[in-house]
Amino acid sequence: MIDPTFLEGIIKILFVFVLISAGLIISTRNLSSVLTAYTIQSFLLAAVSSLLYMIDGKNQLLLLAVLTLASKVILIPYFISRIEQKIKIGRDLHFAYLEPTPSLLLSIGLIILSYTFLSGVFKGLPLSKLFFFGAVIGLSLTLMGMLVVFSRKRVITKALGYLSMENGVLMFGLFVTELPFIIEVLIIIDLIILVILTTIMAVGMDSSIEEYRQKFRKLQIWTGGESQ
Amino acid sequence: MGIFLAFGLIPKSHRLMNALAAGNGMLHLVMSCVALSMLDLPERLGETLYLDHLNLYVELITSLGFTAAAFYARGYTDSLMEAGELDPRNLKTFYLAFNLLLVTATVALFSDNLALFWIFAELTTVCAAMLVAILSARENIDAALKYVFIVSGAMLFAFLGLIFLFTLSEQALGKGTLNWTELAVHASEFSPALLLASFTFMFIGFGAKAGVAPFHTWLPDAYARAPSVSAILSGLMQNLGIYGIIRMYSLLRESNVAPQASSILLAAGVFSIALASFSMFQQRNLKRLIAFSSVEHMGLLLIGIGIGTPLALFWALFYMLVHVLVKETLLFSAGILHRQYRSNMRENMWDVFKLQPRAAWGLILGSIAIVGMPPFPLFPAKFFILLESAAVSPYLTLALLLMLILAAASFANFLLKAFSKVTVEEEKDRHTIRTHVEAGRAELKTAAEKADHDEIRLPNKYVVRSGMRVPAIFMLALAFALGVYFPDSLRDLLDAIILELGYV
Repeated sequence: MIDPTFLEGIIKILFVFVLISAGLIISTRNLSSVLTAYTIQSFLLAAVSSLLYMIDGKNQLLLLAVLTLASKVILIPYFISRIEQKIKIGRDLHFAYLEPTPSLLLSIGLIILSYTFLSGVFKGLPLSKLFFFGAVIGLSLTLMGMLVVFSRKRVITKALGYLSMENGVLMFGLFVTELPFIIEVLIIIDLIILVILTTIMAVGMDSSIEEYRQKFRKLQIWTGGESQ
Repeated sequence: MGIFLAFGLIPKSHRLMNALAAGNGMLHLVMSCVALSMLDLPERLGETLYLDHLNLYVELITSLGFTAAAFYARGYTDSLMEAGELDPRNLKTFYLAFNLLLVTATVALFSDNLALFWIFAELTTVCAAMLVAILSARENIDAALKYVFIVSGAMLFAFLGLIFLFTLSEQALGKGTLNWTELAVHASEFSPALLLASFTFMFIGFGAKAGVAPFHTWLPDAYARAPSVSAILSGLMQNLGIYGIIRMYSLLRESNVAPQASSILLAAGVFSIALASFSMFQQRNLKRLIAFSSVEHMGLLLIGIGIGTPLALFWALFYMLVHVLVKETLLFSAGILHRQYRSNMRENMWDVFKLQPRAAWGLILGSIAIVGMPPFPLFPAKFFILLESAAVSPYLTLALLLMLILAAASFANFLLKAFSKVTVEEEKDRHTIRTHVEAGRAELKTAAEKADHDEIRLPNKYVVRSGMRVPAIFMLALAFALGVYFPDSLRDLLDAIILELGYV
């Protein structure tokens, strides 16, 4: 049996890495490193979940860890890297509203915001320090993911941002409460993402690579609005 | 229901698939009518199934809208395939998603558990996105992706709200629960701050689903790009969001944060109406115009809910029904015009009365109904919601009234400009409208210069398949009937809902 305080220490270290990976997703221009950052983030989530299992011993946490590992560390990144190879766009240089540096600053603001918000809301709840921090990290991860969805223009990066939002929600749920439905939710969201990705793939499969790149360049939401 | 889905995969012929979809809708319609009249409500079936007047009423609206859309879909998809816009191989996927949408929405409505509601609401998002993306044109996929990202992203916030709510119930009851019924009983024991936080998060999610500003941005694109399914988007998806909001608000009414919650609703409602009516004013795309009008109506519904009096809620509920009837009429007629002109833009429409007189009248009558003119039932609904809003603040009423007038004016503006254009050939017979013709010719010239090829010509008359007109006429007639005669059974139903939600 490993000492719980030691495990908690490890979890706290992992928190820091989770935040760093979120920062990388916000700021990196290279698509494959965004993907790597996301994969690492999901892996960290799985690790946190299994460490919690070692402390608590609830089977659900282990199941969550296994599912996360299977879907978010292996399946989805594999899918996305295939798409990235197909579209032959290595870099995502376009940012809609915010350049990386201001958005990093903004994300620090978001972390502080979620800290103050949660410390106000959770005043009456008997949460331990570790769990409170987990909730803060989860909420700020969600908000940072939202920032990615808003500030990036390419659909692939938006999808990754959405996925990291989902990681944040899972993290939040993991630490605040034991929600019986959290695993079903995970599956549903992965399903959605797979549907999106296959849609993107389907467009590409029908035409040659050159056409597809043309299409993909125009496949930027937020700008395709006014035509018809 | 499962049987219908299974059958939906087998048939090869379009007619059979369509008949199954219509049958699916009819089945839901009949079952909810039977449940309304036979069961002793509220009734609990098994662990998670819960029937009461509210969800049966919403289900009734949903399946009514769905059935009409299913009848309409046949002719519409046929002509889409003829025009080469829809790949016949995708037809099966289309009907699969179409049927699945109704089934998931039904399960979402009848589940007693909030988490199940969340999950199935997310599934409806996926199905609807598939329907939008089915035409596999670039803009459609754009619209579908935008739709999925905005709605699912917002729904993640709703999930955060669920986590809050679960923690709350765990704290108050010792054991966490997400059942509507149990939560409603104990809502007054919950800590108010956390309850408000949870409400706000859930409102973001369900509000995005309903298309409330500022989360409405998916809606105009989805409406404009989708084939006739956009009718179900208004009839089904938006009401699903509103249903969630009504439930959450009735939970909060028990606690002492109700004033804050209703001010959130009122603010979002006013913002939606304002944004929608200003965007409608110079709108040249017919379907986008209708889409923004949906945003406006969702705003008005939020205000009806947010006022919090039984009378306002009564009319808001009635409004949900009538809005679907009228909105589907408008969208069906707009779909016919889109087939005729291959475009939703105002400047591409010519000789509407000559080419598509019935669709034109459908649009005119539908617009009269949607802006709330007296013979139609939106008039009393709007009237009483506005009247009740005066209790909150007379300035609110005044502002709402002005914005509603602006919205009405933009409908009139659009229709006048789109329908008054006549091509040159008619000049000889109609000297009286010469000015129009000249203006029309000038516009024709500029438009032709812009389009620089065969876009501008008198299009051949598009032969409307009879199945496409019937639902539009039926919906409009039903709306008209509700306007002149308010059935007692409907009133009893709405009263029962209000009683069940705890409004006295």
